[in-house]
Amino acid sequence: MRPRRTSKFLIEPAAVATGDIAFNLIVFFLVCASSEPDSGRRQDLPSSEKTKQEQKTDNIEISLTRTRNVVTVNGDPVRFEELEGRLRRLLTGKRRPEDRVVVVRSKPDTPYEHWIEVTALVQDLGASITIQREVERTVNVGP
Amino acid sequence: MKLKRRPMKADVPSTAMGDIAFNLLIFFVILARATDDSHLQWNPAKAKQLEGVKSSRCSVLIDRSNKLYLNGREMGQAQLSQAIDDLLGQAPAGQRTVLLKVHKEATAMYYEPVIEAIAQAGGEMVHILDEKR
Repeated sequence: MRPRRTSKFLIEPAAVATGDIAFNLIVFFLVCASSEPDSGRRQDLPSSEKTKQEQKTDNIEISLTRTRNVVTVNGDPVRFEELEGRLRRLLTGKRRPEDRVVVVRSKPDTPYEHWIEVTALVQDLGASITIQREVERTVNVGP
Repeated sequence: MKLKRRPMKADVPSTAMGDIAFNLLIFFVILARATDDSHLQWNPAKAKQLEGVKSSRCSVLIDRSNKLYLNGREMGQAQLSQAIDDLLGQAPAGQRTVLLKVHKEATAMYYEPVIEAIAQAGGEMVHILDEKR
């Protein structure tokens, strides 16, 4: 009886293809790296004409300094933890967009992380922000 | 007796094709990095309720040393508004997104004029932040 021949071929990827494999791997990792999405908070900026119309003398005014713990609301120092409650009370009953404008004044040394924390809080309460720079100009930032 | 000249074959070896492609890719990657701001050093501030940003027209960045960049190119505050306006062109609302990347410790004297410039150019500003957990 003849023994059955078993075929054992050695299957190897062709060495020529190594470059192509490397190329495809790089493309893959490149696509993975570049598809990392940015995330953030949107702030709509109404035109300056609209800003002038919406600005009133009885707007809520927040003053920011370098110190994170204390924020001044309409001249009264408020602890940051109490800011949300205070703003909520002040905004109660104000339904028109022009009444829900909060003027944010920042000292030149106010860090961005503090500013964004406060403005995000104002936006979350449904108010729009007006930035009042110490120089002379006013910029409106909507919710 | 006349000898027949054998034609010479001068082909690019196909083995090198992968390497050529690889080098081309590296070249274009380096070229692309020069026009974006991924090489700049900044730490984003943290906030809650962030949304994903799909596409943007341009990106404004204030780095650790308070330097201002538009699409990875250093720029002065005075030229920013005009430069953003040029980039946005006549794009309709919804397609005028400007990414604002500010180092978390940058101070108001640097970021407020930038916010003002974006507003003046009619950009739809998105602050790029890290999710607060």
